[in-house]
Amino acid sequence: MVSFTVNNRVVTFSGSDDKPLLWVLREDLGLLGAKYGCGIAQCGACRVLVDGESTPSCVTPVGAVAGARIVTVEGLAEPDGTLSPVQQAWIDEQVPQCGFCQPGFLVAVTALLDRNPNPSDAEINAVITNICRCGTYPRIRRAIHRAAAAQG
Amino acid sequence: MPRLLSRRALLLTGGALGGTALVAAVAGTGYLASVDMDGPGAVVDGERVAFNAFLAIHRDGGVVIQAPRTEMGQGIHTGLAMLVAEELDIPFDARIRVEHPVEQLPVYANFAPLNIRPEDPTGPVLWAAKRVLGALPMMNTAGSRSIIGLWVPMRVAGAAARHMLVAAGAARLGVPVGELTTADGYVTHAPSGRGIAYGELVRDAALVPPPRDPPLKPASAWRLIGTPQKRVDLPAKVRGAPVFGMDVVLPDMLHAAIRQAPVSGASVARLANEATIRALPGVVDVAVIDGRSVAVVAQSWWQAEAAAWRAEIAWSRTEADQVTTAKLARDCRQALDARDPHLHLREGDVDAAFAAPAARIVTADYAAPFLAHACMEPMNATVLIHADGTAEAWCPTQSPLTMRWGVGRGARLAGVEPTSVTCHVTMNGGAFGRRSEVDVVVQAAFLAARHPGRPVKLLWSRQEDIARGIFRSQAAARLRAALGSDGLPIAYDAMVAAQAMMHSASRRNLPYGLGASPHGDRFSVEGLDKRHYRFASRRVRSRHVPSHLPIGAWRSNGFSFGTFFTESFLDECAATVGEDALAYRRRLLRDSPRHLAVLDRVAAMAGWGAPMAPGRGRGIAIEECYESVVAQVAEVTVAPDGELTVDRVFCALDAGIVVNPDSVAAQMEGGIQFGVTTALMSRITLDAGEVRETNFHDFPMQRLADAPEVVVEILRSELPPGGAGEPGIVPVAAAVANAIHAATGRRLRAMPFAVLEPDRDGRLRTFLPPATQARG
Repeated sequence: MVSFTVNNRVVTFSGSDDKPLLWVLREDLGLLGAKYGCGIAQCGACRVLVDGESTPSCVTPVGAVAGARIVTVEGLAEPDGTLSPVQQAWIDEQVPQCGFCQPGFLVAVTALLDRNPNPSDAEINAVITNICRCGTYPRIRRAIHRAAAAQG
Repeated sequence: MPRLLSRRALLLTGGALGGTALVAAVAGTGYLASVDMDGPGAVVDGERVAFNAFLAIHRDGGVVIQAPRTEMGQGIHTGLAMLVAEELDIPFDARIRVEHPVEQLPVYANFAPLNIRPEDPTGPVLWAAKRVLGALPMMNTAGSRSIIGLWVPMRVAGAAARHMLVAAGAARLGVPVGELTTADGYVTHAPSGRGIAYGELVRDAALVPPPRDPPLKPASAWRLIGTPQKRVDLPAKVRGAPVFGMDVVLPDMLHAAIRQAPVSGASVARLANEATIRALPGVVDVAVIDGRSVAVVAQSWWQAEAAAWRAEIAWSRTEADQVTTAKLARDCRQALDARDPHLHLREGDVDAAFAAPAARIVTADYAAPFLAHACMEPMNATVLIHADGTAEAWCPTQSPLTMRWGVGRGARLAGVEPTSVTCHVTMNGGAFGRRSEVDVVVQAAFLAARHPGRPVKLLWSRQEDIARGIFRSQAAARLRAALGSDGLPIAYDAMVAAQAMMHSASRRNLPYGLGASPHGDRFSVEGLDKRHYRFASRRVRSRHVPSHLPIGAWRSNGFSFGTFFTESFLDECAATVGEDALAYRRRLLRDSPRHLAVLDRVAAMAGWGAPMAPGRGRGIAIEECYESVVAQVAEVTVAPDGELTVDRVFCALDAGIVVNPDSVAAQMEGGIQFGVTTALMSRITLDAGEVRETNFHDFPMQRLADAPEVVVEILRSELPPGGAGEPGIVPVAAAVANAIHAATGRRLRAMPFAVLEPDRDGRLRTFLPPATQARG
C-alpha cells in the first residue's frame, strides 16, 4: 500500500510496490499524459515531477514515491484550465508535431525553469535530454527561452 | 453526439432512418463532379447538418470538419480545415473541430498510386482506376500527397456549403442571392444591414440542392491560405490529453504484450512454460498468433509485459539463421555487377559517351544501411469483436483501408468472420511509413476474437518496435559520369541495388496473394534520375537484393538514400573539374528556372562562398521530390580530434502554393533533424539473422544538444501545392557529406557517417571514423 499525491489529489495504490509509477499513473489512476516510449529512461516521454524533480516514471517503482508529491503533464495548467507559462510557450512557438514526446519535455522544462529561471543554451543542453523523433528541437529551444522570459 | 448513420446507406434507401432524415440527395455524379467523385447530399442529424462528406455545421455555429487523412504530426488536420474554412468563410478558431472520419467513403480516396491530382482531366483508364481506388476506398496518408490530393475537394466542400447557406439566407431575408456576402460565419445583406449566423440557417440550407461545381475563390481573395495558422490539435497535446492509440481506454478492456521471432520468418517451435505464464498475476490468456508470435493477455499491460519477459520460447530454425550485416551488404555490393539489371530509364547513348576517348570518367560506389522507423509511440492497436459479430478497432494508422482488412484477417486466423469492421483512426505518435503496415492490427484482432465482447489493446514494447520492425532497405549504388570538354556529364549512369519495397509491402498488405514484382521497384530508384539536370545522356538501372527482413515505406523512401548518393556524386564531378559545387549545379540547371531559383535562394541564405574557419565546411544539395523542389546548405565543424558537429542547415523550398507556411516550415525543420540523425548515426545491423538494435541506447537519436540550427525560407509560387512531409529530409545527408568533404577533404560514401562515443556526462558525441577505417 503506497500513498502519495498526484496533481494535488491524494491517492493510494494497493498493488505491487515494484510496478513502475508510469503504469500506475496510466492504468490505475487513468492519467494518460505521461507516455511509454522506451521503458529504460532513455527517451523521457514518461517524465513526471516527483517532489519537483523531473523523473522518468518508467523506471521508478511506485514504492519509491511513497509520500511524494507527483505532478504530471495534466497537472501543469492552473485549476481553471489556464495553461502554464511553459505550455503557453509551446503553443506560441507551435512546438509539437506528433506531440507524443511533448508531455515529457513540458515536465522536464518546467522543472528546469523552477530551478534556473533563465537558463543558457548550454544549461538547457545539459538538462533537457528527451528524444523527439519529429525533430522539434529548434522550436523547443525557442519555447524554453520564451517561457523563461514570460515567467521572468 | 451519436454517430451519423452511413450517408451512403441513406442515399441508397432515400428514406428516413433511425431518427435521421435525409433531406436532400444528389442525383447522378453529384456536385463533386469537378473532382470526378460522387458526393452525398446534406443530412440533418438533430442539431447538426452534414452538408457533405467533409463538413457539418451545428445550430450553435460549431463546424465539424472530416479530415480523411491521418494526423501524425505534419499538421494535416489544420491544413485541410483551413481549406474548408477558406471557402466557407468562417473564422479559423476554436469553433472548428476536426475529426478523422469513421466512415470510409469514395470521396476520401487517395489517388497517390496513380500519381494524379483528383482535379486533373483523365481518360477512361484513369477514370476507371480512380473508381477502383474510390470503391475500396484507398485513403492512406503517405507520399506527401494529402494536400496535393485534397486541395480541390476540401475547398469544393466548403464552397458548396457556403452556396447552400447563401441560398437559404436569400430566402429567409427575401433578397436576391447577389446582394448577399459571407464573412466570419455570417450571411450578410449589406444594403439593409441585416445578417444571419450560419447556425441559424443550417436546417434551411440543408434543403437547398447542392451545387454541381461551386466556383472557388481566386487566390487574390484568400484570407487563410498562405497565412500561418495555429495547429488545431496542439491545445489538447500540450495538456497531455489522451489522443493517441496507446491512450485508448474502453470498459472491460484487456491488455496484451507480444514476443515475435528474433529472426524474421521463424515460427514458434515451442512455448516451454505456458502453464507458468498463465499462473502469473493478472494473466488471462496466452496465445500463439499464426504460429509466428506469442502474446500474453492480462488485466494490465504491465502484467502482460512482465509475463511475456518470462516466456521461454523456442523458435524454429530458418535459412537466415547465419545471416549477418556484412553478408547482406556484400550481397548488395555484388548486385551492382549483375548482368541483367532492370532498366528504368535510358536517354541517349550512354555507352557510346563512356567510350569516347576524350571523356573524363568519374565513378564512385555508395552505400546505406537498413533502418528502423522508431516512432515515439510504439506500435499498438485495440480491437473489440462485439457479441453480434461486428468488429470495431482503434489504431494510430496511416492506412484505414488495410487496417479494416487487417482486422478481418486477424479475426479469421482465430476462426471468427466479422460481419462488419468499424475503424477509428487515432492521432499517431509519429508514423514515417511504419503505420502503413497493419501487423499489429492483425495480431490484436486475433486476440480480440478469442475474447468476444472485450476490447483487447495490444502494445508492442520498444524492443519489439525496433528489433521486430519493418525496415527501410539497405542500398548500394554505383554512379558513373563521362564528363565532356565543358566539365559537365555527357553521360550519367546510375545503378542501384536495394530490396524492392513494394514487392515486400504489397505481399503483406494486399489480399488474394497480390504482390508487386521484385524487379523495377520505383521506390528503389528515387533520387537517381536527376531529370532536372541537363545531361546529354542518362541511364538508371536497379537490381533487387532479397533478404529475410520485411521492407516497408520509410519517410521519403528511396530519396532517403538515392539523393545522398547522387548529390554527393555531383560534388565529386564538380571536384574532378575543379569547379565550385554551386556553380557546377547552376550550369546543370540552366534550363530549370524553378530549381535554379531554389538553389540560388539557399546559396544566398547561407552566404555561399564566404570564407570559413579551418575545420569547418559548407555543403549543398538539391532535389525535386513530391512535386516540390528543395535545396539545403549544411555547415559542419570537424574538430582536430575528429568530433563532427552539424552546426546549421539552411533550407529553401518551392512547394507550390503553401496552405499553412508554419506547418510547412516545421516539416522542413523536423525533416532536417530526422535526416541528420539518419546520416550521422542510424543503422540496423544483424547478427545470426537477428536485429541487434533494441532501444534508444543502441539505436540512438539526436537530442536537443546535438540539433543543428535550421533556417527555412519558402519561395512564393503559384503552382498547385506540392508535398511537404518528406522533402525536408531528402537533401540533408548529401549536404552534410559535401560539407564534411569541404571541411576535411574526406569523402564519406556510406551512411551512417559517424562513430558514436558517449562522453563523461553520458552525452553521445559523434566522430568521423579514423581515416584508415574510412569507408569512403
